[in-house]
Amino acid sequence: MSAVIETEALTKVYEGALKGQDVHALKGVSLTINRGEIFAYLGPNGSGKTTTIKLLLGLIFPTSGTLRILGKTDINSAAVKRNIGYLPEGAYYPEFLEGEEVLRFYGQLYGMGGRELERRISEVLDTVGLTHARRRLVRGYSKGMRQRIGLAQALLSDPQILILDEPTTGLDPIARKEIRDILVELRDRGKTLFVSSHELLEIELISNRVGILFEGELKTLGTIDELLTDRDVTVEIENTTTEKLAKFSEVGVAIEDSVDNRYLLRIPADTSVFKVLDMCRDMEIKLVSVRPRRETLEELFVRVVGAAGKVKENVQ
Amino acid sequence: MTNLLTYLRGPWAIAVYTWREGMRKKTLVGFLILSLLVIFGSNFVTAFLYESGGSEGPTSDVDTKLIKDICITAIAIFGILITIFISASVVPTEVENKVIYTVLSKPVRRFQYLFGKFVGVQLIVLLNLCLMGILFFFALYFKERVWPTLLLWSLLVTYFEFLIVSAFTFAVSCTASSSVLPTIAGLFIYITGYLCEYLKDTAERAGQTTQVLDALIGKIAYGLYFVLPNLKAFSRIEKQIVYAQPNDPVQAELIPQLILLSLVYCFAGYILAYWIFRRREL
Ligand SMILES: Nc1ncnc2c1ncn2[C@@H]1O[C@H](COP(=O)(O)OP(=O)(O)OP(=O)(O)O)[C@@H](O)[C@H]1O
Ligand SMILES: [Mg+2]
Repeated sequence: MSAVIETEALTKVYEGALKGQDVHALKGVSLTINRGEIFAYLGPNGSGKTTTIKLLLGLIFPTSGTLRILGKTDINSAAVKRNIGYLPEGAYYPEFLEGEEVLRFYGQLYGMGGRELERRISEVLDTVGLTHARRRLVRGYSKGMRQRIGLAQALLSDPQILILDEPTTGLDPIARKEIRDILVELRDRGKTLFVSSHELLEIELISNRVGILFEGELKTLGTIDELLTDRDVTVEIENTTTEKLAKFSEVGVAIEDSVDNRYLLRIPADTSVFKVLDMCRDMEIKLVSVRPRRETLEELFVRVVGAAGKVKENVQ
Repeated sequence: MTNLLTYLRGPWAIAVYTWREGMRKKTLVGFLILSLLVIFGSNFVTAFLYESGGSEGPTSDVDTKLIKDICITAIAIFGILITIFISASVVPTEVENKVIYTVLSKPVRRFQYLFGKFVGVQLIVLLNLCLMGILFFFALYFKERVWPTLLLWSLLVTYFEFLIVSAFTFAVSCTASSSVLPTIAGLFIYITGYLCEYLKDTAERAGQTTQVLDALIGKIAYGLYFVLPNLKAFSRIEKQIVYAQPNDPVQAELIPQLILLSLVYCFAGYILAYWIFRRREL
């Protein structure tokens, strides 16, 4: 696997007007993004996701550390920029132009023109599903349409790398699904995607690797399969009483869910499953199922960020 | 050759885009319409005076002078306001509405971006000057029934006067994320450019005494006089051309010098803009 984006000990300090007002937005972030993967860049608000992305695009400059894209350190060179498609956070496009004019403008910035550009414009408009609105002014676009035109301009040069800052924020469920499908299709065509997001459920469905940022530090980095291990086991039971259920709580088994007379017990990784099964047999509780339970990305996120937050509290 | 063309395609697209966007700004269109009304109106004013004046001969010269006065003042005031306003706003607007994020993420280097923006500004300034100039041209034509071709030279010099102010206003705007500060700076540059000749007087007068402080002030004033653009030199020639008085002939040999000077200032302004913008955090 070849690295497409590499950062090493990337640090960014936004200097404040006064001493002591500096914001340490990134603290030594080292990342490697490989070709052909969807990398999910997660973190709470203000953790430094957008800052990292702006650094990658040369919109701001690192305080220290190095950046390498497609093996090159001159990330502003045309060769690199031609191969990056960028969708900024929230979409901003020339309001007084029609959808296709916006794309024509951006296409010209790539040095494209003529029939080739027109063909490409039609293609990307079709990909993002905006063909019907191509002759309408961007001023009249809805939030979702703006996001789509943003994706379209990112795709114009058929770049190898796509850097998307919260691509599905503010979209309806169907639009989200459509965008997700587009991202997966791009990945399957060998593109590399760097996606920042707060939508953990949907990002879990599509991403290969995940990085979780907290206050400018990378707390977790790994593939989905490594990180979301089968940690716990759930046991589904039927026909029980509250006294019996209380017994389970005593040994640290939580009730995760209940429907009518059915209860879902969650057995943490450090408790023996057999002990719980024995208890069920002794109390004559009807067993429905026993299943390994994979942690969700959301739980991982809460665990990592929660732990990081706690450490911080203790230090203070 | 084709290489150079592809290299310029990006900046040119930005210039055209800047021009299209600029011509939609309400303030700019407002100034333009106002100036055109004033220039157009100058004809009516003189026609009215002519009516009440009664006789033909003697008033005609006065009328023409009046038209010239009104038009030249309108072009100077509205022209510079438009120039400053547009030079001060194109970059801050784009930083503010964040279109710049997507533009700079394309294969466009920052100096190319600035170049495109600057050319776009000049397109707007030129277009406005042309519109005002054309009306002035016809206003004079209808008065005197001869084509005032020399007027074109005056407009040319006016443009190069504006170019200096435009370049430095543009440079200041590259530090800002709103157009207020650079607009004020632009006005300041313009006024300083007009007061520049007083610095020379100051320098000469200070040189006449032997006091150390005076000498120092003299040196500073002289230095400033040397560095700052002397905009009065431009307007003097413009007026000489327009009024064409036999006792105040046009110093035609100064025109190429002033144009060259303007280009040098413009280049310096652009370099300054780039130097400011090169490492700017967006
Ligand atoms: N231009 C700036 N000047 C000063 N501080 C800034 C600037 N931009 C961002 N910051 C600060 O840097 C930190 C990281 O911000 P960043 O925008 O990267 O967060 P984020 O992870 O993208 O958050 P969100 O999920 O809300 O988009 C925040 O504390 C923010 O206040
Ligand atoms: Mg962000």
